[in-house]
Amino acid sequence: MRGAVCHDECMRLPGSGLVSGLVATARTAARRAVTSQYPEHEPDLPERSRGVIALHEPNCTSCMLCARECPDWCIYIDSHKETVEVEGAARPRQVNVLDRFDIDFSLCMYCGICVDVCPFDALFWAPDFAYAEGDIRDLLHDKGHLGEWMANVPDGAKPEGVE
Amino acid sequence: MTVGVGAGTEPTDMVLNIGPQHPSTHGVLRLLLRVDGERVTECEPVVGYMHRGAEKLYEVRDFRQIMLLANRHDWLSAFSSELGVALAAERLAGIEVPERAVWLRMALAEMNRVLNHLMFLGSYPLEIGAITPMFYAFTERERLQAVMEEASGGRVHYMYNCVGGLKSDVPSGWEGRARRALDEVEHGMVRLDKMLRHNEIFAARTKGVGVLDAATAAAFGVTGPVARASGLDFDLRRDEPYLAYPELDVPVVLRAEGDCHARFMVLLDQVQVSIDLARQCLERLAGTPGPVNVKLPKIFKPPVGETYVWTENPLGANGYYLVSRGEKTPWRLKLRTASYANVQALATLMTGCLIPDMIAILGSMFFVVGDIDK
Repeated sequence: MRGAVCHDECMRLPGSGLVSGLVATARTAARRAVTSQYPEHEPDLPERSRGVIALHEPNCTSCMLCARECPDWCIYIDSHKETVEVEGAARPRQVNVLDRFDIDFSLCMYCGICVDVCPFDALFWAPDFAYAEGDIRDLLHDKGHLGEWMANVPDGAKPEGVE
Repeated sequence: MTVGVGAGTEPTDMVLNIGPQHPSTHGVLRLLLRVDGERVTECEPVVGYMHRGAEKLYEVRDFRQIMLLANRHDWLSAFSSELGVALAAERLAGIEVPERAVWLRMALAEMNRVLNHLMFLGSYPLEIGAITPMFYAFTERERLQAVMEEASGGRVHYMYNCVGGLKSDVPSGWEGRARRALDEVEHGMVRLDKMLRHNEIFAARTKGVGVLDAATAAAFGVTGPVARASGLDFDLRRDEPYLAYPELDVPVVLRAEGDCHARFMVLLDQVQVSIDLARQCLERLAGTPGPVNVKLPKIFKPPVGETYVWTENPLGANGYYLVSRGEKTPWRLKLRTASYANVQALATLMTGCLIPDMIAILGSMFFVVGDIDK
């Protein structure tokens, strides 16, 4: 292992740098590129990759935990209560119905706190990254758009019962 | 000013702004230079263009949210900065972190150091006119970033540390892939090393330029590779070890010259040291099963008190002074950042140098503007 010893004494002959430079050029020209050809070849991203947040709407109870824990408040949730009659139940039940679930990806800092705090497995990370927009306002993804990302969530991250 | 025949020959000082938008300042550091011809007679670094109020924001964020600010002030040492905040909170709350988490944190911190150094090993030669090292360095960075992303989910902002350990264990088979990446980086470093270590042009631009002596470095509070290139034998991993560094033998890379060339060579040699350390950590990690975090209450509130933790970040000593009043947010979290102390030496280093040397000196101080301005 190289330690604290200085190796500078062995400075090479003047001009040898030019020759070795040309050798390096010749060698590199014959080698394949290390860069991956992106639009033709999609990168192979790991499961944990934080690309975009997907929403599994049926699991969301609009408890607002994600919106409250978000460090830059980029999640917007509106909901209302509805009374549903459940067959066999003595009394009608109250459920929260989600009206609006938006994530503003122009503000999102990709910390993943919302995904971590969600107690009902409604939010997931998908590794997609190619959702740039020409207008910054289009980076506000509504619940429909967020739901579409569910298709790209790795199977390993999904709990049982989520398709 | 005299106008007429003598105007061209009158020696007049010119004030020259380098930055805040100059391409060689990597970021928004502004240097106010007073030049006499090509010679810099005075230099005043003007900092603060990128001030984001991180310390104030810490006061209204809980410890999970602080991580996301902590890994952003110095974006090249994201893991190490997260680690410092976590260590401070853990020390205050008296939390014992599981052994597996300790080794994993050390392995990742050393890999983060390699990533950080590779960036400067690529960008510094670029600033003084060599473009190839950038490609070499980024090829190697990519391998490590893939490993870091697989573990944490982020390529730059990891969000992997939490109070009490790490967020989750690494995926199965990760250790092997990490070790392979380290081998590849070590192999790839050979060509970067061969290109720059004895490069005549590189040496001509950097040797004897911007000499910082040990006493001045110490007076300005310069730490890290920049200080060690001036012969300041100070490395917190050895001198005030945290995590499990006492169990490892940490070789400290030292140089005596204190010039730009020495600073660069310290960085180059430290990469090898960090690769070796990361390997040892991965080895210990493989033999240490168990959890990677401790179960904490849902709302973590450190007890009333204060603590100061400092760690050897890639760019130097980073300190975290944490004062808690028992709330879920810190009452105060003061940062001592390496870059801020390191750029203070610029004013003395630049005085008397030539304009092209100014670029060489500036690049060789290895700072991140976000880390200066916070």
